[in-house]
Amino acid sequence: MRRKNINIWPYLLVLPALLIVTFVVFIPVIEAIFMSFQSYDLRRPDKIAYLGFRNFADMFSDPIFWLAFKNTIIWVVFGVGLQFLFGFILALLLNQSFRGRGIIRAVSLIPWATPGVLIGLMWKWIYDGNYGVLNDLLIKLGLLDQGITFLSQTSTAFGSVIVTIIWQGIPFFAIMILAGLQVISREMYEAADIDGASKLQKLIHITIPSLKNVIIITILLRIIWVSNSVDIIHNMTGGGPSYSTQTLSVYIFNKATVLDLGYSSSMALFLMFMLAMVAVPYLKNAFKER
Amino acid sequence: MRWKRIVSLYIPLGTILLFLLFPFYWTFITSMKPEHELYGSTVTYWPKELTLASYQKLFGEFNFLLPMWNSFLVATITTFVTLFVSTLAAYSFTRYEFKGKSLLMGLFLTNNMFPNVLLLIPLFAIMRSFDLLYTPISLVMAYATFTIPFSVWMLTGYLKDLPNALEEAAMIDGANRATAFIKVILPVLMPSIVATGVYIFIQSWNEYTFAVLFTNEATRTIPVTLKNLIGQLGVQWDLLTAGGIITIIPVCIMFFFAQKKLIEGMTAGSVKG
Amino acid sequence: MKRLLTYLLVLFLPIILVACVSSNNSTSTEGTNDSQDNESTDTEQEDTQSADEPVELTYWYWADNSEYSNLMQDIIAEFNETNDKGITVIGEEYPWDGGGYSETLFTAAMGGGGPDVAAFKLTSTPLFTANNLLAKLDDYIDSWEDKDDIEENLYDIMKSASGTDNLYVMPWNTQVLYMYYRPSIFEEAGVEVPTTYEELLTAIEQTTMDTDGDGNTDIYGFGMRGATGGQEPWGSFIHGRGGDFEDMTSKEAIQGMQDFIDIYENGYAPPSATTDGFNEIIANFKSGKTAMTVHHTGSSAEMVETFGDDVSAFAFPEGVGQWTSMGDTNNVIFESTEHKEAAFEWVSYLATGKGQEDWTIATGNVPVSTRVQEMDHFQNDEFMKASIEGVPFAGILPIKDTTTEWISTIWPNTTASALLGEITAEDAMQQLHESLHEE
Repeated sequence: MRRKNINIWPYLLVLPALLIVTFVVFIPVIEAIFMSFQSYDLRRPDKIAYLGFRNFADMFSDPIFWLAFKNTIIWVVFGVGLQFLFGFILALLLNQSFRGRGIIRAVSLIPWATPGVLIGLMWKWIYDGNYGVLNDLLIKLGLLDQGITFLSQTSTAFGSVIVTIIWQGIPFFAIMILAGLQVISREMYEAADIDGASKLQKLIHITIPSLKNVIIITILLRIIWVSNSVDIIHNMTGGGPSYSTQTLSVYIFNKATVLDLGYSSSMALFLMFMLAMVAVPYLKNAFKER
Repeated sequence: MRWKRIVSLYIPLGTILLFLLFPFYWTFITSMKPEHELYGSTVTYWPKELTLASYQKLFGEFNFLLPMWNSFLVATITTFVTLFVSTLAAYSFTRYEFKGKSLLMGLFLTNNMFPNVLLLIPLFAIMRSFDLLYTPISLVMAYATFTIPFSVWMLTGYLKDLPNALEEAAMIDGANRATAFIKVILPVLMPSIVATGVYIFIQSWNEYTFAVLFTNEATRTIPVTLKNLIGQLGVQWDLLTAGGIITIIPVCIMFFFAQKKLIEGMTAGSVKG
Repeated sequence: MKRLLTYLLVLFLPIILVACVSSNNSTSTEGTNDSQDNESTDTEQEDTQSADEPVELTYWYWADNSEYSNLMQDIIAEFNETNDKGITVIGEEYPWDGGGYSETLFTAAMGGGGPDVAAFKLTSTPLFTANNLLAKLDDYIDSWEDKDDIEENLYDIMKSASGTDNLYVMPWNTQVLYMYYRPSIFEEAGVEVPTTYEELLTAIEQTTMDTDGDGNTDIYGFGMRGATGGQEPWGSFIHGRGGDFEDMTSKEAIQGMQDFIDIYENGYAPPSATTDGFNEIIANFKSGKTAMTVHHTGSSAEMVETFGDDVSAFAFPEGVGQWTSMGDTNNVIFESTEHKEAAFEWVSYLATGKGQEDWTIATGNVPVSTRVQEMDHFQNDEFMKASIEGVPFAGILPIKDTTTEWISTIWPNTTASALLGEITAEDAMQQLHESLHEE
């Protein structure tokens, strides 16, 4: 009898969150699953029919899809990887005490607090080949003779967009890790000091292990978030030139905005599947050895 | 000692901050440059003539206060609702073993993986059938689609890193779970809640895709209003950049006060631990 | 265990509930065409009976800048005051969002929460009519006193866009593209205003100059637009060689594409052209970086403000063929509105009434009302003249259900590949042809 009573609590606690999410996400996702097996193109509503796996077959023979897939991997690896690296460093720096720390912490949030519309336009403006400040700086430093049109060449466009997403994501990691740092008790460091541990040793043996779960989860959530992010690329290049900055999520977005919902749902499910492939083993490993 | 501090703190901090803040500085400068200087043959790092005209215009004829208030309302409600339900769920995931737990956790995770743009049409129909269209509540609900899954996982991560010993000690002292949670866990968890709250607030403050669809003139939020400044005939740089600056400032001020909580949690934790 | 089951049931109840609600919705929007027609005749009767009762109409529009936004609010206010049928229009502004406006409008209309009337781009017509969202306007037009104030061919264009014989789109204003040029640069380069397509190509080459002798180009002959929207000037090059949109794989069309590529590869256009959109071509022209660029009267006021007399215009010259793009902004009435008559009052006020005058005079767009076209304001403007000169050979892209995607992603990316030398002109035209004419 007692055991059962105890069992109800966890469900009750999850219930409110689950209810809200059920209303707004599960239904649309289930609809999308159905759509992915149909020629669900609202431009041709009278031709909507069950297709089986045709959308998926089309997808795998679509060269633009594979390019987008490759781009997504580059986007996530470099985007998230460098965000994490710089974010972690920034968190460690902001955790030290110095004058004006409150203000510095607040202003380092700025990239993250900037609306996506503005990020896109602002960076486009910085990269501009004719009036952009980046070219001007590089020329003044003697690194360039003539301006580069960063976003107009297939060789430079994607790198430029990745720098922007790194810029935007650093504060996120910094704040999340900074919060995690507060939970580590001071005594552990004091004990290490007595043993004469160096800063690096303390970082490797105390800080990182204590933050393990937070780090794992922030990286994972960020991988999911960045691979799904559309607005920076959409506002900066729209996926061009010549599809060189088009990631899967931008391709899905572009297909969905022209109302080819069947094909874009198929791609969305594929992306979801790939993310799950990354997430599940990652989490299993992370949470098992506790 | 002083040199060491400069190398290990001020130089790296300065470099990262320069990277983070320069675009913001550039936005600010752009908002005050007259147009002929904007597209001039030389790039100027400080405008020759300063003009605050765009800021006046923004609040005068443009009534930027309304979208600011709407954004604030939506972001605040979303933050509190999300934090409340997510903390409960995260507590359940970390402090109980129960059937279907990994399934439920998986559901929250996969939620994050689905692109918003495909949710639009069904979600619009759902909002309409509940008569929520064009109200702030519809945005709160829509934002829950990404804030709740995120927060549940984030808080689960923080709670997992928090030793169970803390509350067990309190429960041995005779406190029940709820009291132990409020008295012991919550203070230590505060920095994490604040960080997650900042995340939720910023995401809701800046969201565009849902906002354009679920609001009308009366309930419109900042990103939509800003995007109204980009027409077929170009971008109104002055108003747009001025609007952007004004959007960022309240978030920074709020965080300036909130970040003190990041330290309070620490002291609370060390006392009990 | 029983208890657990109950909880699970409670959990899934909302899912089932919402699923029912949403499936009900989808059937009612998709399958009930016939009943909708019946309903609409009912409401029309009600409309005529209650013509004097106050009616509220929601109108969605986008504004290209904040002046236009105020202008629209003024026009709405004036209409609300002066109409004698008790109609109140409520204007709701939506972001243009590089064309995202149309998707927002579509999603809202599909979800049953859209406006009564909305500003509209012709290219979206197939999408909206295929989903039965728009009201047929033929009967209203036929009994409309101002019917003949709008030229017949304009109605024909609107009709052909829907792929049926019916009219769903009410004309409002148009924009005809022409070439802006800088007389002073032409003089410096010793070039006359081109009268043929070949001369234009030469002029583009000759106005590309290194004015300070440092080995870098300072003035580019042509401000090419390679981002979305660039298909319009590009179409003029295709037609200049005698090609057309029906068969883009013809030798002539490929030659036109080759000309376009050559301009970029030879450095007669700024290197950023592959991604230059409206902002960039205008900024480059206004800062003196380019000698020519293609746009319409919408930007003439600011050009004159920048250059005074040192800016002028000519219609895109004739080669084997001649073509320029006609842009359009129209209005539509939604099938779901209960007040079609009132809605027609409003769209006709914008098409031929005071609303037409106020809007076109202030925005510099070409009026659709012949009465307004004949006003002095439009007869004395040199840029408006270049527009009107272009009207006889102005056209639109074939409007198919593939057109919106073709414009927004396929054309810019394929053309950028060709400009950057990744694919040949022939391959590019093959891809462009297939994706536009795909069945």
